[in-house]
Amino acid sequence: MARSERAVASKRMKKGVAAESGTTVVVMRLYIAGRAPNSVKAIANLDAICRQHFKAGYKLEIVDVCEYPRRALDDGILVTPSLAKTSPSPGANVIGNLSDTSSVLAALGVRSASAT
Amino acid sequence: MIDAPGSADPVLTPNKTEVAFKAWLRRLVTGAAELEAFDAGEIDAVMDRDSGCAHMLPEAQSALHASSRVPLSMFDALPGEVCLLDASGLVLMVNKAWRASGTRHGRAGLDVRAGENFFAACGDAPESERTNADAVAAGLRSVLGGLRQSLRVRYVCSSQRARSTFALTMTATSAQVPVNALLTREWESDPGLKRYRITPAAPAGVENRLLAALPAKDYARLEGDLEPVKVTYGEILYEPGDRMRHVYFPDNCLVSLLTLVEGHRALEVGLVGREGMIGVRLALGGSESPVRALVQGTGTALRMNAERFVREFHRSQTLQRVLLQFADRLMGQVSQTAACNRFHVVDARLARWLLLTADRMRSATFHLTHGFIADMLGVRREGVTVAAVALQRRGIIRYRRGNITVLDRKGLEAASCSCYRNLKLMDTEIP
Repeated sequence: MARSERAVASKRMKKGVAAESGTTVVVMRLYIAGRAPNSVKAIANLDAICRQHFKAGYKLEIVDVCEYPRRALDDGILVTPSLAKTSPSPGANVIGNLSDTSSVLAALGVRSASAT
Repeated sequence: MIDAPGSADPVLTPNKTEVAFKAWLRRLVTGAAELEAFDAGEIDAVMDRDSGCAHMLPEAQSALHASSRVPLSMFDALPGEVCLLDASGLVLMVNKAWRASGTRHGRAGLDVRAGENFFAACGDAPESERTNADAVAAGLRSVLGGLRQSLRVRYVCSSQRARSTFALTMTATSAQVPVNALLTREWESDPGLKRYRITPAAPAGVENRLLAALPAKDYARLEGDLEPVKVTYGEILYEPGDRMRHVYFPDNCLVSLLTLVEGHRALEVGLVGREGMIGVRLALGGSESPVRALVQGTGTALRMNAERFVREFHRSQTLQRVLLQFADRLMGQVSQTAACNRFHVVDARLARWLLLTADRMRSATFHLTHGFIADMLGVRREGVTVAAVALQRRGIIRYRRGNITVLDRKGLEAASCSCYRNLKLMDTEIP
């Protein structure tokens, strides 16, 4: 279940710079807990945000803490769902089901003007 | 955009254990943003650094498992009491027999229901059952964490007017996610389950746990042959190859079992205190000691003539069961120690050994020289000194003229290898 989700959600992008726009690709990691309600919402919300605001490309990895608790602990994750932006720097974290689009965009470094 | 869950109707109404479990989870959370999201109901799971696992919040659990309850109801057909748990300790279902006996026993004895959390139930246990409940919770953690396949713990419900006792068997299930553990409960008072029964006679003043586990009539037959003796630090009860003339049931002394290999220092392979006996090999048919039995902690023991002991062993089925269970645990201890001696560093082994000694002596202070400890761990004295100084610098122990005091038990447990946890779990098994 979680594995196939990860496969679907991981957008395969060229590393570093997206070809056509010349902008830096945003690299994110979303920590979820299986098919729990907030986790499902966070995936859906993030997917919608990415479709709208990262047309140039983004890279998302989804980590299920039920399957990989050790990895989440090593990454300093305390609660799920939890979104971590790893690149470009500075890194940022958003906690919760990501329903507040403007704060997600602010954390991901998208100018508020472009937020809808 | 999908809305925040707000007051989405929960599958279960929150109950006491659920509220307690959630409060416990909230205490694991640090950071303003995390706490805000937690209180807003936007969190599904909280990581527990101590156990290394993720705990689902009750709301997330019920939403996840609501669909899995129907097929599990087939367990209702079984006559035995069954309880199924997921990885976080959430009760997925309890069968009809479990519910019926729970009602019969006034809901005492960790009588959980579907949707509750078993760890929370252990936390809610009455103060008089605290030791039992903690042993069950620790055991379940080891089963869910994959450290053990199965574990059986005896639980006394002392809060009830009529004391009742049951044995709880916890087994890890490998496949069938989301079921991660299966518990079965066997009440000692229930008819048809007598074969599991060990009548706790525990005559007042009997410190040794093997003797205390014997029914009154079996103990009474041994009593006349048990002679209290004082054994002192450094005394050797047997050398390897010695004919064992007596067996010893330690009250408050501690005896190390050492293996001798030519050209090397002696090496400790087992440590026996009030939970066991010295000379169990007689029960298994041997007459000579395979190891050196060296008194490590001065105290008293009950001594019994070897021939009388063997005769009684063949006569009493309960004595046989109690001693064979001990022999099994001792074998477990010896193998764990052998692996530990081979693979773990001196610091961790020293911490493990100090913890075991403190547990068995039931004291945080004991007298031991570096040379003695070096023998126990099979290392050079200098190695022990370096490790002890390191522990002392961290404020975990104090070492002065052969007197060791454990100052920070939690710190010592953290410094120890996982073998301590495994060895301790062996001790929590019945009797």
